[in-house]
Amino acid sequence: MKPIVDLNYYFEETGAAAKSKTGPEIYISVPEEVFNSSLAHIAGKDVVLIGLFCLQNFNGHTGFTLLYVLEKRSYSRIVIIERHLHEPYAASIAAFFPSASWFEREITDGFGVTFPDAFDKRHLFLHEVYPEGFHPLCKDFKNRTLKTRETIHPDSEYAFKKMTGEGVYQIPVGPVHAGIIEPGHFRFSVIGETIFNLEIRMFYKHRGLEKLAEGKTPEQAICIAETISGDESVANAVAFAMAVENIRRAEIPKRAWQIRTILLEMERIYSHLGDMGGMIVDVAFPKGASHFFILREEIFRLNQTLTGSRFMKGIVWSGGLTIDIPPHAITELAHYLEDFTPRLKSALDIVSATSSVIDRLETTGVIKKDLINLLNLTGPAARASGEPIDNRLDHAYGIYPILELQKRIAEKGDVLSRFNIKAQEINDSVSIIRALISQLADGPVNVKMDNGDGWALTLVEAARGQNLHWLYLRNGVIERYKVRTASFCNWQAIEHAVLGNIVPDFPLINKSLNLSYAGTDL
Amino acid sequence: MQKIFRPFGLFTPKVTGQIIFHDEEYEKLGLQLKDNISSIFGRSLAIRELDSGSDNSTEIEMVNLTTPYYDVERFGITFVASPRHADILAVTGAVTHNMEIAVRKTYAAMPKPKFVIAVGDDACNGGIFAGGTYAVNGGVEKVIPVDLKIPGNPPTPYDILQALHGFMAVLAKGKK
Repeated sequence: MKPIVDLNYYFEETGAAAKSKTGPEIYISVPEEVFNSSLAHIAGKDVVLIGLFCLQNFNGHTGFTLLYVLEKRSYSRIVIIERHLHEPYAASIAAFFPSASWFEREITDGFGVTFPDAFDKRHLFLHEVYPEGFHPLCKDFKNRTLKTRETIHPDSEYAFKKMTGEGVYQIPVGPVHAGIIEPGHFRFSVIGETIFNLEIRMFYKHRGLEKLAEGKTPEQAICIAETISGDESVANAVAFAMAVENIRRAEIPKRAWQIRTILLEMERIYSHLGDMGGMIVDVAFPKGASHFFILREEIFRLNQTLTGSRFMKGIVWSGGLTIDIPPHAITELAHYLEDFTPRLKSALDIVSATSSVIDRLETTGVIKKDLINLLNLTGPAARASGEPIDNRLDHAYGIYPILELQKRIAEKGDVLSRFNIKAQEINDSVSIIRALISQLADGPVNVKMDNGDGWALTLVEAARGQNLHWLYLRNGVIERYKVRTASFCNWQAIEHAVLGNIVPDFPLINKSLNLSYAGTDL
Repeated sequence: MQKIFRPFGLFTPKVTGQIIFHDEEYEKLGLQLKDNISSIFGRSLAIRELDSGSDNSTEIEMVNLTTPYYDVERFGITFVASPRHADILAVTGAVTHNMEIAVRKTYAAMPKPKFVIAVGDDACNGGIFAGGTYAVNGGVEKVIPVDLKIPGNPPTPYDILQALHGFMAVLAKGKK
């Protein structure tokens, strides 16, 4: 038997076997006969599987190629393993990298590549309405409208896990919920009021964005990046633009990066404010919540002044920005932020002085630290459980390396910890924006890029956590665009976080994680 | 004034300072809308929001209608939890195949008279999915009949309220 490949070696700076020309990532290959054993060897330690996706006819290989994207804590390098398949099946790694389970199911639906030894082989984003044997991401399928089933026979319905025992009953919720929320299905198994098991089913909003981007130029596709998740439009547009810039080796003017960073942080502020208000609403304390919603609306209005869009759509462009922001908007923003922090504090004081609210938030929906690496949890949800990860520092991009920024960490991993982390991060974002305004450079906000082909990986820290984008340009158009938002992985944490909690606390736990359905379903 | 007995100050209500925001134009629009709702729908217009595959920014703007700056409940608009209670179904998103059955069922569950409004570019005509893809047909009207379209990516809360105002005016004419 061949010895296993020591993958740890590649994360070291000296381990540059095939150094990437474009980004933080290196591409390596591992012999098939030791593939799983090599991966099993590093699993469960500091190495996290942050992405796994499929390509067809990539890099001179005819057939399917799987890319395994690995990150090691406290190392800035990303290792990507290219696994060229000769047959349309592969051995599953979900048994030791649990985050692979959804990825593998996604690949099976998209390309028809199967994982015969996987523990879960159900469909993921193709629901019952789609015909059997349909794989939309295969290159021989040209995007067109499809005739789907209008009724579903009970025999072909999605099989939820069966929970049995004395007093166990089920509560099916969704996809259409009672409030103004996105669609998803939650299958609770409950004993009395306590949640015994939760299984989530997503992808009701699957819009086929990855396929939609194929064949388009980067300029045509940036609106697709923005629509991945409406409230992460800046983060995703920046990740996409950065991938194009990495492929085409463009240097973006300093002013463009400063403005992008201001917008990224504005997005984080309004997103966090919405979560915090939402958490307080979900414990039935609207008076406390209204202060957060007032601040949030003011941020939306400032976004409009800055960019012309309340969600800052249409401003980020590959090569910089579409347009500079008007000088009066900068002045207005600087003026507004002067008393923002004290106003936020007074809103927080109302919450912390209300013991009945704190009682609901404390010890509710705990995410254990052990889960973080296994499920690739990121963002405030991971930081509130004591994992010091933040892409703005770990894989710093743009001008983040020169900004003063610190990781906000809490230990308990409950709803209250997430609430507090978000409050601290809002204040950090305000400081960043104020510092950037005071040192805003002059000059152009975009640069003309040469045409160029290639592929690049980018990671950004959106409000919800790490978003991964992988872009492959061929003949000037997109050959493959893969996106994995933080929500895709963080959703799986909720199945664990709710266990032992009561059903009425579910909305609160859900809100504290603030997961995007659109960003998961793509 | 009667003095209220408050042992140890325990029952002192927590009062925060008044927040000053007043938008003349918006108030005027809202009050006109309120009048129309009163005459057509007997004081209360019940809206059921249904996301059929938007990018979630439209939902955020719908939620914003209920926040302090807009607070549409005072004009008689309520977002209701069930289609059984709704006068209007507000659909956002271009209707994905995975949501199609749910959209039809929600529409069928509404009592008559019922109206459907499509909110946002995707819902109106498919937006970036116009023409249709494997996952999206393109527009709400491909699945259920639509009475009003509110374009925008996403439409602002003000846009939505203005469109509702226009819609009420049309309904009022029909009623006379």
